[in-house]
Amino acid sequence: MMRLIGHDKAKSLTTLLTGLGLGLLLAASPALAKTLDTAYGEVSVEGQPERVVTLYEGALDTAVSAGVMPLAAIATRGGDDVARYLRDRVQGIDIVGTARETNIEAVVAQRPDIILASPRLPEAQYRLLSQIAPTLVPDVPAFSEGAWKQEARFFAKALGREAPVEAALEAVAARAAALREEMENTPTASLARWMPQGALLMSPKLFSTGLLRTSGFTVQGDENVPAGRPHSDPLSLENLSLIDADWLFLATLNAEGDDALAAAMSSPAFARLEAVKNDHVVPVDGQLWTSASGPLAAEAILDDITAALP
Amino acid sequence: MTRHPRGGSLAPGIINQTPADGAPRGERRRALTVTVMWLIAALALLCLTSLLIGAGEVGPLTSLATLVGHPIGAATGSDEARFVMTELRGPRTLVGLAVGASLGIAGALLQAVARNPLAEPGLLGVSAGSAFAIAVALVLGASAATLRVSVAQLGAVCGCAFVLGASRLNAVGQDPIRLVLTGAVLSGLLGALTSLLLLMDQRAADEIRFWLVGSLAGRRLADLQAILPSLALAATITLTIARPLSALALGERVAVGLGHHPRRVRLLAIAVVAMLVGAATAVAGPIAFVGLVVPFAARAIAGPDIRRTLWLALILGPMVVIAADIVARVVVAPSELSLGVITALIGAPVLIAVVRSRRLPTL
Repeated sequence: MMRLIGHDKAKSLTTLLTGLGLGLLLAASPALAKTLDTAYGEVSVEGQPERVVTLYEGALDTAVSAGVMPLAAIATRGGDDVARYLRDRVQGIDIVGTARETNIEAVVAQRPDIILASPRLPEAQYRLLSQIAPTLVPDVPAFSEGAWKQEARFFAKALGREAPVEAALEAVAARAAALREEMENTPTASLARWMPQGALLMSPKLFSTGLLRTSGFTVQGDENVPAGRPHSDPLSLENLSLIDADWLFLATLNAEGDDALAAAMSSPAFARLEAVKNDHVVPVDGQLWTSASGPLAAEAILDDITAALP
Repeated sequence: MTRHPRGGSLAPGIINQTPADGAPRGERRRALTVTVMWLIAALALLCLTSLLIGAGEVGPLTSLATLVGHPIGAATGSDEARFVMTELRGPRTLVGLAVGASLGIAGALLQAVARNPLAEPGLLGVSAGSAFAIAVALVLGASAATLRVSVAQLGAVCGCAFVLGASRLNAVGQDPIRLVLTGAVLSGLLGALTSLLLLMDQRAADEIRFWLVGSLAGRRLADLQAILPSLALAATITLTIARPLSALALGERVAVGLGHHPRRVRLLAIAVVAMLVGAATAVAGPIAFVGLVVPFAARAIAGPDIRRTLWLALILGPMVVIAADIVARVVVAPSELSLGVITALIGAPVLIAVVRSRRLPTL
């Protein structure tokens, strides 16, 4: 009897233990390792990675918003540091390249746990980087509506910190909705970059122009920007009226906004735009408006919009 | 002219004929005058076209109606058209006239001095010299258009000095192709240095990048005013050295025998080239090949005498630049191509034709 019971007990104990072990394993696995669908197949990431390298401005923004301080990032377009709006929050961050070119050796030297990369990372680069650490490339089509939110959620999941990013996205949506409520009608707006021989009209499918739209503006320029391009070719001065709108947001990458505005104003073709006559030209930081993306950038852009409106 | 070769027993129709070769001087001059008249008419037509055609929505008929002051067919004048013509197309046409004339004359002078049909400010690095000088000035913090002119001229002087120095080197001066190669090396070097400066200074890069390819878009009359004094000075000097230069073409000794000072004449000519190229580059950026194509065409029309080619270059230069600018406006509307691209497309075949011709003419 003893023997019999003992046998049965031992058997059930084994089953129990096995079940318990399996259960524990199943329960623990989401915290230990998760699998993300990336542009280059499935990549698994464990827990909350500590050593993070971001090779995309949107990834850096999301990481900071999630409470992670990345070790290294790339410089903003046309600059040699991260974008101005983020500079104070990531002091001392290492720069390991630009959007066009990554310094692979510098990335290796950071010994990252994960690398967060741009949705436009070329496959050859991906192969190199994924040998250093799991490299996460969001599978988000460029210039699609709300692409930046999908990217932010993707990076948040990779970092294992979805909650703060989700909260930040909700805050942005609420703020944009409040702005839209205040707007009496839907004024037209366009985003342009000023250059002395003409202006670049920015696509209404960008991150910043998307925010303008959710804040209640009708963003112009869809028919004048070639599909799949962030902006038009430099417009002839004779066609400058294409950038005219109720509100004209004028971006510059390097010079201070006021200088660019002064330069633009000295052109007779610019001075006769309706937006200029109505004093509805808003000089904005091109690093923020035409290069960055992410929840923090969205807040900064909404700050600009709020400050511009009467 | 009425002198006939065989006495008076011929029909009256034959008497008035002139022999095909050895035409009297007056006849040839008259033929040239007629050609020049045609060219001036063509230039005037091009200027008008330049006022009427653009990348914008203001079409030729609307522009013409605005210009003459009453409706033509369905097209009526508009304020928009008036603005486009007075503020955009008008200034760029005038700037095109000045730039084209400067580059054409500079090319003719440089070819005469270097005695080389391939000597061209753009090919030999003179334009690259002024572009580099402007890049340096911008990096050092300058941005005034007036400063730009003198800086560009200083750079052009350095470029000219280098070219002439190279042409004095053994065997380089006698071989036109070597001279062009030397110029290509200088252009490459200066271009690399300019790029280096632009990489180091983003602000300068923004100001200069569009300008480095050469364009007339967005230029204003104030830009033209900035270069007018040096153009006037250059014109005056050119008038005084045209005759000595044509004597120089006969050889150094003949020129000295005729009472000229070859050294002084050459230096003055180089100063004029630098003034003209510097002024043109300061306003429109480096525009290659105009200085090659224009003297080439001028010689084809009027022969090698510099006193004639200079006048023709004065007309042909603006024709080439304004025609290229019109093309640049319309091919990629609503944007514009850069003028330098079009002139290169026109000029490269001419360069190849000159090089391929069996016997390279030395001037």
